[in-house]
Amino acid sequence: MIACKTIPAVGIGYRSGIAEWTRASLAHFDVLEITVDHCISSGETVASGIFDLVGRIPMTAHGIGLSIGTDVPLDLAYLDQVAAIVERLRAPAYSEHLAFTRAPGRDLANLLPLPKTEKVAEAIIAKVRVVQSRVPVPFLLENISYLFEWPESDLTDVEFLNLICRETGAGLLLDVENLYLNAHNHGFDAHAFLNDLPAGIVKEVHVAGGVTVHKDFLARPFLADSHSHPVPDAALDLLDHVLKRHAPETVVLERDDRLLEFDEILDDVRRIRARIAAMQSGSIHANELVGAAD
Amino acid sequence: MPTSLLERQISLLEHLTSAGAIFGDGALRARHLQGLDAALLRLEARFSHEKRMEKINSTFPRMFEAMRGDDRADMVRDFVEACPSVDIRRIENARQFYDFACARWQRQPPQPPYLQDIATCELAIADMRMKGKAQAPQSATTGRRFRRNRDAVFLPCNYDIRPIFEGRMADAVERRDLMLAILIPLRSDEPTILEVPAPVYVWLVELDDWTNRAALAATAELEALISELAEYGLLEVRGH
Repeated sequence: MIACKTIPAVGIGYRSGIAEWTRASLAHFDVLEITVDHCISSGETVASGIFDLVGRIPMTAHGIGLSIGTDVPLDLAYLDQVAAIVERLRAPAYSEHLAFTRAPGRDLANLLPLPKTEKVAEAIIAKVRVVQSRVPVPFLLENISYLFEWPESDLTDVEFLNLICRETGAGLLLDVENLYLNAHNHGFDAHAFLNDLPAGIVKEVHVAGGVTVHKDFLARPFLADSHSHPVPDAALDLLDHVLKRHAPETVVLERDDRLLEFDEILDDVRRIRARIAAMQSGSIHANELVGAAD
Repeated sequence: MPTSLLERQISLLEHLTSAGAIFGDGALRARHLQGLDAALLRLEARFSHEKRMEKINSTFPRMFEAMRGDDRADMVRDFVEACPSVDIRRIENARQFYDFACARWQRQPPQPPYLQDIATCELAIADMRMKGKAQAPQSATTGRRFRRNRDAVFLPCNYDIRPIFEGRMADAVERRDLMLAILIPLRSDEPTILEVPAPVYVWLVELDDWTNRAALAATAELEALISELAEYGLLEVRGH
């Protein structure tokens, strides 16, 4: 459980490129989300910059390097490293993407979707249990944004997630931006997706802002999860919907590009807080709160 | 016989890391990938490639800036064909690119000719930043014991490329063999690059362990050298 000023705690994903600014701006955040892989493989400078923050602000642990969906056994040594970092960060949970990023001989370093079938879900369920046995905090799966679909997928996004979470007890790190993009790109109803999630399953939330991609080889423009721009209002509307049925402990803003646009980052944090406050009070108008926070 | 998920994942990654998918001039040939949308895979391949190249570009900003546009495009394309992505880490992708570039420059001398020296320095700096190598405070110049700063990296170069790193005109780059030392001073992210005369370099290499000043035949010249090297951070000095 995150012990902090507000529930849900609001914060940002820690990025070493803006470490100095983040350290100087801790008062704006209730929580920082740490990418455990940055502690493992980005070198001593980055890792010590992160561990220095332990005790100064609550932290959650997020991963990008597990590749749980690759059809090979999990890397147990990696999981043991994750467990040690989670303990050192005093993180209350560890989250990873329901995706694969590599296969023997190749590492794309980009999240790719899995075929959404019961057979694949069974394989993931077995692996989630391995993660749960090695990392001694609750494990959360995150929905990814995806561009293409496997032709044999016969479950919907929400059916696939629910099946795995139900069988394993894993919670959901719901990325509302990814949901917004997928709903737009693949033509499904994001609110229906949210309605189909069991109440209380969402333990953490990600929000971010992306871009629209126009290419001559695409039949239509695609929304891309670039983590580079302000969070769209439509994604915040989905956050409102989430907050009605779930009690996430954290809402984390992800930003990976145009990192020096500090005003945009802080403004997004204020907008998120305003949505939460408005939802909790049921009466305060979100825009009034944004003004008051300044 | 149905193919396994793993076989299809391997085929997919081979496709997404191929020059054909990234640059859009290759068909979706793999039998295992039938039914997937080729245009969307192309977008996925391009996104992944851009992300990887961002890691490489951020490691070698000066080298890429010094390259001609056409050379850069050719080199990146050849790199993609020869070296698919095998590691998520920034430094490993940079190292992979550096090894590829050096092999290429053996066959085809770089233009401008000091590119390899720039790349070597930039990779060394990235490596130092990653490992957190920082110069210890060198306020003491009169201590009893001293040794080479083990965090300093020494690079033999064919060109004096310091003007490139100091933001001066590239035409100030001079062709001569020299030894450069790179350090990242304490509480700084910016590297210091110094020229080290050959005899001093030979002497520094020998100073791998703590050495008593008293054991050396102290001369005024040597004392001055020790003080100067300590001031620059190339020597660590301890003990009073």
